[in-house]
Amino acid sequence: MSHTPKIVLFQCQYCLASSADQEWVENSLPENVKLVKVPCSGRISPLFIMNAFQKGADGVLVSGCMPEKCHYITSNLGARRQLDEFKKFLVFLGLEPARFEFLWMNIDERGVIQNELDAFTSNVKQLGPNKKFNTMKDEIIGQYHG
Amino acid sequence: MDDFSQVRKEAARILSEKIVDMVIGFKQGTIPLKSQPMFITSQEDTDKLILDGFCQNNLAVFLHDQPKDKRIGIICRACESRAVRALVIEHQVNRENLYLIGVPCMGILDWKKIQDAADGPVTNAQESGDQILLEIGDKKQVLIRNEFIVDSCRGCGHREPIDVDIQIGEISPIEMNADNLPQTWGESFKSKSADERFQLFTEETERCIRCYACREACPMCYCTECFVDHIAPRWSESMVTPGGTQAWHIIRAFHQTGRCVECGACERACPMDIKMVYLTDKLNDDMKKEYGFEVGENEEKQPPFATITLDDKNRFKY
Amino acid sequence: MMPKLIKKIEFDKTISKWFKSYDVIAPVSSKEGIHFKRIKDPKEIKLDGNQNSIYPPKNVFLPQSEVLFTVKNDNYEMPDQAPRKRIVFGMRPCDARAVWLLDTIFNKADDLDLYWGKRREKALIISVGCASMCSNGFCDTVGSGPFGKDGSDILITELDDAYFVDPLTSAGEALIKSLPEADDTQGKNAKLIQKGSVIKEHQAADLPRIREKLYEAFNTSIWKDVSESCLGCGVCTYLCPTCFCFDIVDEIDRSERVRNWDTCMFRVYSAEASGHNPRPTKAERTRQRIMHKFAYWVDNEAASGCTGCGRCISQCPVNLDIREMVQEITSLKIQ
Repeated sequence: MSHTPKIVLFQCQYCLASSADQEWVENSLPENVKLVKVPCSGRISPLFIMNAFQKGADGVLVSGCMPEKCHYITSNLGARRQLDEFKKFLVFLGLEPARFEFLWMNIDERGVIQNELDAFTSNVKQLGPNKKFNTMKDEIIGQYHG
Repeated sequence: MDDFSQVRKEAARILSEKIVDMVIGFKQGTIPLKSQPMFITSQEDTDKLILDGFCQNNLAVFLHDQPKDKRIGIICRACESRAVRALVIEHQVNRENLYLIGVPCMGILDWKKIQDAADGPVTNAQESGDQILLEIGDKKQVLIRNEFIVDSCRGCGHREPIDVDIQIGEISPIEMNADNLPQTWGESFKSKSADERFQLFTEETERCIRCYACREACPMCYCTECFVDHIAPRWSESMVTPGGTQAWHIIRAFHQTGRCVECGACERACPMDIKMVYLTDKLNDDMKKEYGFEVGENEEKQPPFATITLDDKNRFKY
Repeated sequence: MMPKLIKKIEFDKTISKWFKSYDVIAPVSSKEGIHFKRIKDPKEIKLDGNQNSIYPPKNVFLPQSEVLFTVKNDNYEMPDQAPRKRIVFGMRPCDARAVWLLDTIFNKADDLDLYWGKRREKALIISVGCASMCSNGFCDTVGSGPFGKDGSDILITELDDAYFVDPLTSAGEALIKSLPEADDTQGKNAKLIQKGSVIKEHQAADLPRIREKLYEAFNTSIWKDVSESCLGCGVCTYLCPTCFCFDIVDEIDRSERVRNWDTCMFRVYSAEASGHNPRPTKAERTRQRIMHKFAYWVDNEAASGCTGCGRCISQCPVNLDIREMVQEITSLKIQ
């Protein structure tokens, strides 16, 4: 049986201009993708990413607007500074780079989210289930301090 | 430092001339290999001031609890002066109310390593040039100082106190002879594969007892409410399972990105000997590489994460 | 009860025999120093001189994090946290005394803590006395000593080629029934070692006086002075063998209710939902810690809550010394 990766998609609510795409994200996302809608990618704290991996996500995809297209002018760039560094940090601690990706969308593009999500999912699928930072299965008994 | 009396004199002077209300420095600890932070309000006590390799704290941390308008003098090694500047940039202290007495630093010593290297329980320890003289009961033992300097002080690139009101003593270059010393934890960590790195990180964090000594000892951790103390939303479990400790170590370090002054007070405060300087070092290195930002280097420049600009638009590949 | 003997060459064999019916927890060497851990091989045991673990073995009975119950399909399940009988080997008398003190909190006949009780009834404590006191220890001044007997089922004294094993309870006696008996000379030698272990200059603390003085100083500003350099971390209390404060939280993602250690030295410990904090500064929090150890324990159990292990002194990041603090407060003259 092949493994279906659990994906968390953090999506800026403004990044999909096409209502068809928006509709698709809201209603027809594959079952293994969990959607977290945020007002702007600038709202995404590294803690969100950390928690997603800890609670069993195999991959995290962040989607936001292109530079200069942000509804809040520069917030997506602020997010980018932090999250880009956070990715480097998690990779430094041993995470596979393909598990945490960014997707910056131009509002005139159509159907990009479907393709990118597919590509991301298949990349994560190749890596298999994520064991790093996944902490939901830990039992307390038998631990170092137990 | 050979002649510390000048520092004592200066501390006494600023107290007597009412330039400051309080001087923060170090005094002899109650047990060997340790020293205690000291808060002096009267001139007579300035005789107790000392500074040696066993002064492990960053004194700037004590500014968090003091009222902003209180006039305070601090005996400043380079790390303290950098921390003060970082706090000034983040509007946590008023520089006008501080009086910094800059002193040279010869690197902080790892008391645990010294105790392990000693032949028995140390009853007295003294520094002398490049040696550490230990007394173990009636016996004497001599150790080479360089071998016991903590990781964060090795290859320290910021030996000169910055922006001080008065500088006492000369900064002499440390003769580190780093070639003979074993690799630091951070260096060896970097050379490992991804899986090994994760393994090492896990081994370190699983010893964590969540006493938050690292947080409290850090001059740059001044939030009135820390993310780990939140009940709702719950960012990290409060248990000693990896779910709690890994999140704590990752996010604690990440909050220091471009803000950490690299003093290593966190690591020295840890009772469980957990390595953590390598985390903030990595983040600071990246900040330097990407944004050319270094803590304490500039009086005005905000840390990279506090500055958002449209100039970034071509920085990342989209 | 007859004292017994374990020859050093037979030590491994004796311990190995226990593995069949017991989990043996003993001090082993680890990255940060000595640490209590379940062992699989007697060779792991590290009993060097008077060295104690940095992390206190109270976690054998009161783990730092423990699941109180799990919720599954509307049912509450209490995990079986101590399925096997356990032997805690190599506890120091200060830590054993701490367990004895904590029994007065958790193991009351009319008010039993189920989790503590279960672990406690299935465990035997074999403590090893310290032939010389550790550098920061002051157990002999607070009612115990390097060969204190409180809390242990068996007390061991190390002789040259053997361990002198002194059973203190019937459970302890039953465990070592098959061991050879110690003869009189060995008994005498053990006595000598025990006598020689105390430091002559140490004076027993006058607990009632300290208690009285602490209450007198309650409202003075001395607490601010002694706590000025305190960082407000949890090192002293987490490493203390008698500190037992805990916090109960619901880990919703795991459907578990968990009990974690907590410490009065944290700001959030006493913070109320309204935002008010009855212990707003480090002074009040330090006062609570010292008063609890040397006044409230004395009120309740007529014993000091400090067993003199010295962990808080050697590990404090700013070298706050509880001996010095108590000294300073009790020598305060109040008009």
